[in-house]
Amino acid sequence: MIKAMEAVADLVTAGADDAAHGGSSRVIRVRVLRQDVAGGESYFERFEVPYEPNMNVISVLQKIAARARSQDGRRVAPVAWDCSCLEEVCGSCTMLINGRTRMACSALVDSLVSTDGDEIELRPMSKFPVVRDLVVDRRRVFRGLEKVKAWVPVEGSYDLGPGPRISPEDQEDAYPLTECMSCGCCLEACPQYMKIETVRRDDESESDFEKRRKAAFDSGFVGAHAISQAMLFNSHPTGRMIADERLEALTAKGGIQMCGNAQNCVAVCPKHIPLTRSIARAGRAATVWAIKRLFDR
Amino acid sequence: MSDSSPSFLERHQFLIYRLFSLAGLIPIGAFVAVHLLTNASILAGDDGRTFQSRVDMIHSLGPLLVPIEWAFIFLPLLFHAAIGFVIIANGMPNVGSYSYVGNVRYTLQRATGMIAFAFIVWHIVQLHWLGKPFGGGQFDPHRAASTAAEALQPTLVAIFYAIGVLATVFHFSNGLWTLGITWGLWTSPAAMRRANVISIVIGVGLATAGLGALAGMRSIDVPRAREAETWAEKQKHALSGPGAAVAPVPIPNAH
Repeated sequence: MIKAMEAVADLVTAGADDAAHGGSSRVIRVRVLRQDVAGGESYFERFEVPYEPNMNVISVLQKIAARARSQDGRRVAPVAWDCSCLEEVCGSCTMLINGRTRMACSALVDSLVSTDGDEIELRPMSKFPVVRDLVVDRRRVFRGLEKVKAWVPVEGSYDLGPGPRISPEDQEDAYPLTECMSCGCCLEACPQYMKIETVRRDDESESDFEKRRKAAFDSGFVGAHAISQAMLFNSHPTGRMIADERLEALTAKGGIQMCGNAQNCVAVCPKHIPLTRSIARAGRAATVWAIKRLFDR
Repeated sequence: MSDSSPSFLERHQFLIYRLFSLAGLIPIGAFVAVHLLTNASILAGDDGRTFQSRVDMIHSLGPLLVPIEWAFIFLPLLFHAAIGFVIIANGMPNVGSYSYVGNVRYTLQRATGMIAFAFIVWHIVQLHWLGKPFGGGQFDPHRAASTAAEALQPTLVAIFYAIGVLATVFHFSNGLWTLGITWGLWTSPAAMRRANVISIVIGVGLATAGLGALAGMRSIDVPRAREAETWAEKQKHALSGPGAAVAPVPIPNAH
């Protein structure tokens, strides 16, 4: 079995080499921060791929996987990474490309080479636990959305009918916030969002571990994406029905108060979502809500 | 960590951080502004007479001054500093990777906060009477201009003051801008830009007042200031003594 796989790998490598010799001899050098298992040691490994015009970082990773050889010719396990849509709408291929958080699918090799030189460095996101190589566990991103109830509560046993109308002005105001794809760039660049990695204990059941992990997530900063989604659903006429529950979550431990106003989130957001506007609006809503809670109860 | 029940700080995080933010403006920021502007009155060019009269005004509070100092300056400052260190410990500056202006300001806000705290502690020990047991407490409110001028004469002291004042003013004016975002006063990017201009104007104004006061105190004529203070003190005793109003002490060096 292994013999057969090696043979296939050799064939693929030979094919890739042919392509390299057939076309231009220009190569793109890639330095990848690898990690074999969760919690394991990380190490850099260098690769070379033949240059082709209009490559993106995903196609570079595909070529690395096809060759499965390091720069010095050793056969190595292909680099693992996450991706899906390849058009910057799914948010799954976030990684550190030349030290900065961005989507691998929209990171074009030609522009990377022209600004940073012809070696590309790929590292997994630093704020989430590494599963393997460039694959990280971004469960905390979704826990943040869950914490602030980033949805419209319409579940029921009968048809509730159409909701209230939304004015075109309000639609325009809300639209940019709906573009969030939970890629996590805002969290990776945030100096207030610290990595939280919980490891299951030997004597711990799956549900106990799950509970402990959620508590650990909730003790850290909820993040710009969740604050922005809370503001989106608090501006929605039906979503507004649980506005107070969202504000309760936003003012709980790890809530909006953890924001340090560095404003990196809005600078790195691939969808240019006005995250700092959402944060300031959440700040205002929290101010009003806290005063109300103090005097109205 | 997540196994233990949340600490007091964690349970009331929102309230405590908001009080921290508020304390930076009222009373600490307001005090810093008044303090720097009062000091700038040394630039009136009257051998420190205007400055002395402002100091007298503050000290007319008499025995109330001590509780007021503790309630509105020292305790809020200690609270703001303590929470500030918690905040610094829970953040990880990353200007190396993301050198945006906002991120540089985030990092500077933390650096200047620490510099300002170290400076203020040293400043209090050096000049305030609380510093007397530590060999400080050089400022005499009855001889305001001359004692301040003498304390500021060494070049190293003056350099440390310039750094401390600039760090404090940056921390205050940048903090004013972030406070407006935290409380939701300015929410849109355009409003943030306008607020930023106002913060910069306030910052430049206070920095000018602070550095002007420092330069002014270092350049006044100390013997003449001392003379003016001696005269003012005699005047006060004469006014409070018997037959005071009849023979006021003549003004020395009157032009």
